[in-house]
Amino acid sequence: MSEHTTEAKVAVKIEEDSCSRCTICASLCPFDALRKDAEKDKTILDIEKCQVCGLCYAACPSHIIDILYYDVDSLTRYLKRAKKQYASDTLVIMCKGSAPDLAGIEKLFGVAKFIPLTVPCVGRIPEDVFLKAIIMGIKRIYVLACDEDYCRYDHGSPVEGRRIMALNLMLSQLGYGKEAIVLKRNSLKVKANSDLCIGCGNCVFYCPWSAPTLASPGLVKVDLGKCHGCGLCVSMCPAFALDLDNWEKDRISMLISQLATEMASPKILALCCQWAMFPDLDEKSNSHTRYIFLPCAGRADTAHIVEAFVKGIDGVLIVACAEDDCKLEGAGGKVQQPISTLKGRLGQIGYGERIGFCTISPRYPEAFANELSQFSEKIANIGKGK
Amino acid sequence: MIVTIQKPLGEILDFIAPYKSVMVVGCDGCTQPPRGIREAKTLAQLLELGGRLRDKEFEFRVNTLVKQCDSHLTATALKETMDSGVEAVLSLACGLGPQTIVRLYPEVPVFPVQNTVFLGAEEREAGITEERCAACGDCILGLTGGICPIARCAKSLLNGPCGGSQNGKCEIGQDRDCAWALIIERLEKLGKLQNLEVIQPPKNYGVVKRPAKISP
Repeated sequence: MSEHTTEAKVAVKIEEDSCSRCTICASLCPFDALRKDAEKDKTILDIEKCQVCGLCYAACPSHIIDILYYDVDSLTRYLKRAKKQYASDTLVIMCKGSAPDLAGIEKLFGVAKFIPLTVPCVGRIPEDVFLKAIIMGIKRIYVLACDEDYCRYDHGSPVEGRRIMALNLMLSQLGYGKEAIVLKRNSLKVKANSDLCIGCGNCVFYCPWSAPTLASPGLVKVDLGKCHGCGLCVSMCPAFALDLDNWEKDRISMLISQLATEMASPKILALCCQWAMFPDLDEKSNSHTRYIFLPCAGRADTAHIVEAFVKGIDGVLIVACAEDDCKLEGAGGKVQQPISTLKGRLGQIGYGERIGFCTISPRYPEAFANELSQFSEKIANIGKGK
Repeated sequence: MIVTIQKPLGEILDFIAPYKSVMVVGCDGCTQPPRGIREAKTLAQLLELGGRLRDKEFEFRVNTLVKQCDSHLTATALKETMDSGVEAVLSLACGLGPQTIVRLYPEVPVFPVQNTVFLGAEEREAGITEERCAACGDCILGLTGGICPIARCAKSLLNGPCGGSQNGKCEIGQDRDCAWALIIERLEKLGKLQNLEVIQPPKNYGVVKRPAKISP
């Protein structure tokens, strides 16, 4: 991992001098990254604790917090672009944590054609974005948040729920109907197929929430109330008896096949924890690199890594959060061991250097770019796989 | 569980080099680490990648069995694939698996993928798997507080510890517990230290005639 100096570019900044000291941000921050320094009479941001959820950004009444990803400007640009691209006046804003595939959205909200906007936590969407969307001519807005207990940023889902309630009240007074913005909640869970279970107990051991139980051999049961959808058990199951909503094995396999055909050599596939790296909404795609965003690095399945090489990918970079930043009780760190075992085995046939593993945080926006360029350079030097 | 370690991929590639159509058979039984369908599929893909570097193309069929050491289960589960023409079989089971398949299909070459090392127990939290049973045929765990000196003492002593036991560790390595230190600690807790006053006669290894066989 690269060293961060004090000059490293950071994703969140606070204009301390313009701050009204209301401390709303500090009361909302799930990670205690913001606090009021009574002595200096300032609100201080500790970037090392910040997870770039954006709750403070959306709630700041003085608009003195700058955020790099999904700020009002970039969201507005996206909406303008996407409205034309999708030729629709229906907007669906989804949290990455709970968004099923687009067909799932159709089922949940009963909409077929819509402008999709996926963000890491809907709690970062301020009122401005909804109002700008309505001004732009967007007729219906649907918001999909995580079930409150499963919000990766603790307060994101409940805060946005209250924000939408207040907005709807205002909008109804203006004559936009009673529920101008429709909010639903969802969470993605593990599916167990006990017909395939061989009773090894890996899921029971690895689950951070003790959701799976194995009462008798081959009869795995998952308490869905406890499951947080990290997908670690799926990656650890030797019998493929578990699967995860939205990140099903078949779906990821299909995605790998599709991405492998549309890339130019050397082909780099980044399997990213969706909380470790946020893609830039404005970024142009690079023909050598494709991403698969996972619910947690815990779902970075060795089976998919090998599969990617078989399908002609030249390098696979696994992007995880550092242990302290993991939103899923350290699930992301647990896959390091199977991945390093696989790296050793790939090493025996000359593929070992084609796997990369890095831990990064969106708080340092250049960190991922650096890791990716180093890895890409390494793969380009090794040359194409056979 | 029966603990195994995977052979180097180069050795496996050498086994199957003369063949094209190869079946990779996992075992969902007691093989540790689990060598089920995930491992069978992963191995086939690794061998496919390794084959490419040797300009060799294989056709893999991937399967897993409930337990390869059961001749009837294995025969019924393998029949369809074997009848469709397989030139060689790679078994992911312990040493029992390949031998079961060889007996069922004497004309087909069967290769082991795993080296079988011991009967072990897994300490999940510590991330280790340790030999705990030597299959001696005359269990003395009842006398030794549930800790087996045959499997866990480097000398398989019946009247330990020996002079090499220091601070609870074995003289062959500081990472190994002295089984007899564990036994004494355990018997003390059980209030059964008097068990140690009885000198155990030399163990009768003839209880099990090797190669062992049981018939009803």
